[in-house]
Amino acid sequence: MSAAMNRALPLLAAPVAFFAAFFAVPMIVVVSSSLMAGGVPSLGNYARVLFDQYHWDVLAATFRIAGLTTVACALLGYPLAYYLVRVVKSRALRRTCVILLVLPLFTSNIVRSFGWMVLLGRNGLVNDALVGVGILDRPMRFLGTELGIVIGLVYILLPFIVLAVGNALAAVDPALEDASSDLGATPFDTFRTVTFPLCLPGLMSGIVMVFTLAVSAYVTPALLSGGKITVFPMLIFQQYSTVFDVNYGGALSMTLLVMTLVLVGLAGWIGNAGASATGRKAQ
Amino acid sequence: MIARLLLRVVSWSVMGYLILPLLVIVGSSFTATSYLAFPPQGLTLDWYGRMLGDTSYLAAFGTSTLLALVATAAALLLGVPAALAIARCEFPGKRFLLSLLMSPLVLPHVVLGAALLQYCAALGLMRSFTALLVGHIVIIMPFVLRSVLPQLTPEQRALEEASADLGARPMETFFLVTLPQIRSGLASGAIFAFISSWINVELSIFNTTAEMTTIPVKLFNYVQYTIDPVIAAVSSITIGVAALAIIILDLTVGLHLLSDRR
Repeated sequence: MSAAMNRALPLLAAPVAFFAAFFAVPMIVVVSSSLMAGGVPSLGNYARVLFDQYHWDVLAATFRIAGLTTVACALLGYPLAYYLVRVVKSRALRRTCVILLVLPLFTSNIVRSFGWMVLLGRNGLVNDALVGVGILDRPMRFLGTELGIVIGLVYILLPFIVLAVGNALAAVDPALEDASSDLGATPFDTFRTVTFPLCLPGLMSGIVMVFTLAVSAYVTPALLSGGKITVFPMLIFQQYSTVFDVNYGGALSMTLLVMTLVLVGLAGWIGNAGASATGRKAQ
Repeated sequence: MIARLLLRVVSWSVMGYLILPLLVIVGSSFTATSYLAFPPQGLTLDWYGRMLGDTSYLAAFGTSTLLALVATAAALLLGVPAALAIARCEFPGKRFLLSLLMSPLVLPHVVLGAALLQYCAALGLMRSFTALLVGHIVIIMPFVLRSVLPQLTPEQRALEEASADLGARPMETFFLVTLPQIRSGLASGAIFAFISSWINVELSIFNTTAEMTTIPVKLFNYVQYTIDPVIAAVSSITIGVAALAIIILDLTVGLHLLSDRR
């Protein structure tokens, strides 16, 4: 055994043992129980997941909601990150905005979703405002629709993308942008050819983060769906908490996990390809 | 010019969107009506009084706080040595180990919660404080690693070597040299870890009971059936704790987010 190993071992013994005992082994238990049915090894649970149209509908709704959430987060978060890092000159104002950006992150999903339950209700502020301004002629139903869930999830996940893009942007030397405009590029050209490619890795990592969190979100959809829409994490929760079928629940868990990992891997791969096309390696 | 104006309008609208729900909750917790009203109609502290009179809320606050404190302490005790080993030593499988320790960040919490429920049931720990605790330690360890690892730089290492050369024992070096140098990483890691534990629902929900529950899980179970100003008052308290944590973070180590000073 090498000297480095000898030094590392005492430091790692406890954390590794802990992670093995309370992370790796429980995950192995789920995988192995998903491969059992009626006490014998079986792929039946996975067959049940895969050959049931209902699951595909739920999965489609889950990914549709997560996809819309991610796109909306990117479209709303990017301008805000750019504005805070590049346009806001006052340090105090930026600091206040950062605090307001982090405050929702430090508040439970429950509380934040609860706020939207109140806002999006039939007589909530949003409907009152939309009717008052004349955009709607009568209150619209938000709770119990995919739109309502997306509004809540975008709110919950937006800070992640703002922070990811903002930190990437803050690390880009403004001199590069100045050089570009000195050489005659229009502000839009500078943004398109210099700024945007340089913070693409930040944007991609934000997108991956938001998408994974949106796919696995349970609380916000549960509260804003009004019991009318089911997303995949709800199926898992049902199996464990009311049906008590751990074999089937395990198969559902693994399906969600694998789908998420595949999509994250795909996004990472696209991000790397995109970043290396612009001559920069993704972190 | 138009682009700049548009950017300004979009940015401030998004900021408004981020603040509005919290404002609505805090505002409606003071309403004098028996239903949630925003803007509040009349002003009263009755709902806070009701909350304080209900011991089940206080118990849930207590459980959450104890859980988050113990989990944070454990995550630091396990995470700091792991960070030191990863930053200082070359050993096979280091990258794999780091990804393993960071993976709770991307793993759906519902999946992990279900796994721990099943596993702890087999160990006879189902729906116990211990079951909650181990789960929380797993999901908050990444925050400790993420804040401490970047601070264990080669320059910092050089000071440790100097300390050892001057005859300090390893423990003396750790407490007198290493620890003070990674203080800000420890503080921000600890605050992020504490808050993540304090607000967690998706993992906790599997191992709480009606008698032993954390405040977010209690709110979740309540909000699904009833919405009243007491819930707004309880929620406002949690927003207050969040604000306090951020202010402490900002004043002690500084929120270096979105600034070039890093």
